Amino acid sequence: MAEEHNKNSVRPVAEKGEHIIARHLIDDDAIKEEKNLVIDGVDVSGRWNTFIETRVDSEYDRSFFDEIQKTVVGSRINRCWQCGMCTASCTVTPLYRRFNPRSFIYMMQLGNLKQLKKYVDVAWRCVGCYKCSQRCPKQVNPAEMMEALALLIKKYFPEEIKSKHQLTIDEEVKKIYEGMILGHGRLDLANLHTSAMRKMGKTSELLSDKDERGAIFKMMKDGRALSVLRLGKPHKWHKSKDAIDKYLQNTGTLEQESQV
Amino acid sequence: METLKENQAAYYPGCALLTIDRAYNNSSKLVSKKMGIELVEIPDYNCCGIGEMKSKGAVSLYLPLRNMTIAKSKLGSKDLVMACSVCYHEFTRSITKVKENKKLLDEVNLILKDADEEEYAPEGEARHILEFLYNEKGPDEVKKNTVKPLKGIKVAPYYGCLYTRPSMYTFADKKPNLDNSEKPHFMHDFLESMGAEVVSYGNEVQCCGGRNVVQDEETSFTLCSQTLSKAKKAGADFLVVICPKCAGALDVNQPKIVEKYGEDSELPVVYLTQLMALAFGFSEKDAQFSDMISNPLKVLKEKGGFI
Repeated sequence: MAEEHNKNSVRPVAEKGEHIIARHLIDDDAIKEEKNLVIDGVDVSGRWNTFIETRVDSEYDRSFFDEIQKTVVGSRINRCWQCGMCTASCTVTPLYRRFNPRSFIYMMQLGNLKQLKKYVDVAWRCVGCYKCSQRCPKQVNPAEMMEALALLIKKYFPEEIKSKHQLTIDEEVKKIYEGMILGHGRLDLANLHTSAMRKMGKTSELLSDKDERGAIFKMMKDGRALSVLRLGKPHKWHKSKDAIDKYLQNTGTLEQESQV
Repeated sequence: METLKENQAAYYPGCALLTIDRAYNNSSKLVSKKMGIELVEIPDYNCCGIGEMKSKGAVSLYLPLRNMTIAKSKLGSKDLVMACSVCYHEFTRSITKVKENKKLLDEVNLILKDADEEEYAPEGEARHILEFLYNEKGPDEVKKNTVKPLKGIKVAPYYGCLYTRPSMYTFADKKPNLDNSEKPHFMHDFLESMGAEVVSYGNEVQCCGGRNVVQDEETSFTLCSQTLSKAKKAGADFLVVICPKCAGALDVNQPKIVEKYGEDSELPVVYLTQLMALAFGFSEKDAQFSDMISNPLKVLKEKGGFI
């Protein structure tokens, strides 16, 4: 940036809130800039004109907190003391600055759905590397808290999932996994891949053999793509399937509500 | 009930190893046998959930634990050995969760009962093949079995995430016989025992983004290109992996990663057990190097004397 300034020798118009340290942690609409501001008779326009909206939330919803605590993945939400070790060790945060596990857990603790809704588009990006859970000093297990967050999103923002392309894809892929794992007891990876590609509208990529070293072409050739024939199905899996369905229909928790 | 002999261990193959990653499955069995342990597959296994069923409450625990009950009732083994790090994670997670929480144990047993399966008693452990071979046999045994030392081959061990993390499930750092979570070394020790030169490259325990590799390959490509290029820069001939999900992201997708990030990210990926098989005197066909997309055979040919 500094070099650019020298080149043009004119300072560009200031970006909104650009003097704020860790600007990326604060929402645009939480920043208030006053053009001409006088406080107690002192003109404070200029550098001192930027304010961050107060975030005091006195109407938080405890029932929401209980809802999360009852799930297997969110059972330790009460332990979090907001130290931020999870965000500091996160694999995803450096790639997507708005992905902030500490902040997500805070919003979940407060039941701040309004705020959570703004992050639905990145909240699904956890890669499950468990660095946060490894380093969390309170064993909150933030990695699984992100799974609890996904459950909340499914319950409270179904329309967001439908309207945002990447979320729809994520949801569709999860359904393919679920259908195979619970339906058949085993996962046919080649089929998973091709079904997912089809859902994403990438069928043409599947058929192209321009890259002879391409994985799909190779696996077709050596037979691994047809591996479902070798995989089979566990004996009397339908009994497991029925037992699982019965359990999921009776938990009375978020896990049940998020069933399709 | 079949009972295992002293030199046998109950083995959970998992879906990836029976299909796309057959090379890992076969070479794991080969090297274990060579070291004196026969891996016996449990009958009728089911998928561990591959991390995608966690939002389904006790169902995510039922999936791995059903396999534990099979190992016990059909093979008389409390413990279960597995080679996939994701399976290992799902098993350690389930075992720990039901040990800590009686209510969850009851829920799992209720599903097991409904499904006409054996009851699960919280005992026994899931063991990753690397940890298993390290503790049961150790680097000295690897050295003893090495007939074709990997002299002149530089390797970059890649442990990934779930082999040690999180230690609240795996008990890494907590149990003295397990690996270190921040600086694991079991693979280092094995590779050095085979005569290979281990390079340090800084991404040994980083993530490949494999979990979202289907729906979000861009993130995975970025993470993988960092790991591959760092290892290559450090002079590695191979990136050595112990998880089929890592292999899926780093090996199967490598042509696409190279297309996007350039040749800096072009580096052959192999499974640890494939290199072990080679060092133990098996052929490159037995070790199924040709299954890997990133073309490790080319490097082995160039090195000379290995195939």
